[in-house]
Amino acid sequence: MADAQTAMIQLKEAYGASIAEMTPINGTPRLRVKKDDVPQVAHFLHTHPSLRGALSLLWAVDHRPRESRYELCYLFTLAERKDWLLLCTDQPTDDRLFPSITPHIHAAKWYEREIRDMFGLIPKGHPDLRRLVRHEHWPKGTHPLKKDFPWNRVMGRQQGEHHFRQIEGEGVFEVPVGPIHAGIIEPGHFRFSVAGEPIMQLELHHFWTHRGVEKLFEQQELTAAVPLAERVSGDTTVGHGLAYCQAVESLLHLQVPRRGRYLRSLFLELERLHNHLGDVGAICNDTAYALPHAHCGRMKEQLMQLNDRLSGSRFLRGVNRVGGVAVDLTAVQLAEIVAELDRIEKDFSELESIIASNASLTDRLETTGILTERTAWDHAVVGVVGRASGLDQDLRRDRPFAAYDELQVKVVTYRYGDVRARMRVRMDEIHESMRLVREVRAKIPQGPVAVEPSSRPQAGEWALSAVEGWRGEILYLVMAGENGNIHRCKVRDPSFVNWPAIQWAVLGNIIPDFPLINKSFNLSYAGNDL
Amino acid sequence: MFRILKKSLKTGVVTGRHPAAAPTVEAPTSEAQDKAKPFRSSLAFRAVDTGSCNACEMEMNALANPVYDIERFGIHIAASPRHADALVVTGPVTVNMERALKDVYKQTPDPKIVIALGDCAINCGMFKGSYAVTGPVDRHVPVDVRIPGCPPRPAEILKALSELRERKP
Ligand code: SF4
Repeated sequence: MADAQTAMIQLKEAYGASIAEMTPINGTPRLRVKKDDVPQVAHFLHTHPSLRGALSLLWAVDHRPRESRYELCYLFTLAERKDWLLLCTDQPTDDRLFPSITPHIHAAKWYEREIRDMFGLIPKGHPDLRRLVRHEHWPKGTHPLKKDFPWNRVMGRQQGEHHFRQIEGEGVFEVPVGPIHAGIIEPGHFRFSVAGEPIMQLELHHFWTHRGVEKLFEQQELTAAVPLAERVSGDTTVGHGLAYCQAVESLLHLQVPRRGRYLRSLFLELERLHNHLGDVGAICNDTAYALPHAHCGRMKEQLMQLNDRLSGSRFLRGVNRVGGVAVDLTAVQLAEIVAELDRIEKDFSELESIIASNASLTDRLETTGILTERTAWDHAVVGVVGRASGLDQDLRRDRPFAAYDELQVKVVTYRYGDVRARMRVRMDEIHESMRLVREVRAKIPQGPVAVEPSSRPQAGEWALSAVEGWRGEILYLVMAGENGNIHRCKVRDPSFVNWPAIQWAVLGNIIPDFPLINKSFNLSYAGNDL
Repeated sequence: MFRILKKSLKTGVVTGRHPAAAPTVEAPTSEAQDKAKPFRSSLAFRAVDTGSCNACEMEMNALANPVYDIERFGIHIAASPRHADALVVTGPVTVNMERALKDVYKQTPDPKIVIALGDCAINCGMFKGSYAVTGPVDRHVPVDVRIPGCPPRPAEILKALSELRERKP
């Protein structure tokens, strides 16, 4: 099947006049495309049966003050071998319009609205040009990621109201939920249209926790921004920290020592474990089945206390640093981890059989909140949610990072795409993670755990990095600026692509099932809103 | 059924099995203790996230797990601010959440206490100065108790809350 090279050849055959090859970025082939031809080229890449490229990331860069231009980049993942292919196009600073690819590629919808809000560039032909990140009360002309927008500007306020898509008709009601919810969760607004019980439409209105993270990155030095990355989404501390570090390491041409890479895999699996355990319990709890919730809460707590003992942080904050890891583990500690996991695995297996034998729970979970494989693919859904809908993807296997090139990761997929499938994926991944931790312990080599950064990248160089966090693919793009600072850092949490998909998964379900469906996705608001 | 019983018996009581909390950095003021007086044996709090990174939320959720079991101290989590005696606010107060925070404060019946949880809520933490942040919390609503940490450990939150409710000598 097609790899990136054959894809390039096919593209050149079809659109030779409008594309030109550029130097690859950490091994990813890159094509420069004429601005107005981007939609066709992207469409070809997306729909051609031998390519089937899914849009993984779409971002813009303001190159000022070094060069007076914007650049738009489209990262595609090809279907079979999961190769990456990049399309880039220039956007002059005096032209605010760029052609939208959303009419062809659904997954681009939020990215393009985000670019409009953050850069003031308008996607021409986009079906929905409402504001996304900037709520309506933000004054006109405030586009934070433009280089002439001060990072600490005091924001004024204007009148404005968000307009939701409305369904009209007899007996159709709108149910607003949020931004502040009943449980202890983050803020977000959900607007349901219902006729009787079933949900006819759900619209999300998010970005309440937008803290300006990407702009804050631009105020930092490359080697000093790990703590900020760890606070993009607190529950994914290791995932985000690692993804950021990897991007900077490839900019600085650092080779992380093998032991450091093994420890990174270990910490990433520990993070996956405590989050998956929490989720399994929480899904059961949302069906009012409190027993597994209590047990899972207890096991999760054991793991968090273990994290605390290992690293001094319950969330493993500060374990990653540019060049490796900041925490080395002794053989005794490794043995302690494995012993603790052995106990928890036994404990959890007993709980699993209790959960599996509960018919009323199964009844509630099955066929609830189905996300079909087609919808999942159209939205380029990633991670647990994608695997529960039959998308066979896992960066640990497809684009190995840390020590995963030497570890055998078994990817768990289910086909049905309902709440139960999403829970089953998590349950199976818990066992798989425990196995991986044991494998790490058996294989981990001796040696240093980190190297010191020595060089400095040239301004304008950039790197991409990808990590399979517990929720799914985390992508980072880091571009170096002058004096070792960051010029641009694009963060993509898996939540950003999975949130829109939930609007499809709830259709036809009843509102009381929404919390359950939402929990089975368990997406981050902070990571989405940035 | 027997499986469940067996599991519960085997597990036993886990409540309280956690490391002791570090000493509280900021002891509650006597005004705050006075304000907390009416709620001595029953305090219902409502969590408001004004832009946190969600680690603070996770630690608050951990308070409800069997290990910390905050309900044994008469502290409950209320589903609506209208049923709450206290607001626990996390996060640096984003531009988008500012209104919601003020609304929630108004909706909470008097007397009430406001607890700022985490460094973000106390001084905006890493997000200080950002265009999208208008906090910290005490710029918008009066704060009675501050629990620092990024995030504070559940044991520390528990300790701060119990000190708040201690009888003055
Ligand atoms: S204080 Fe720390 S843990 Fe809490 S919300 Fe802020 S960054 Fe997250």
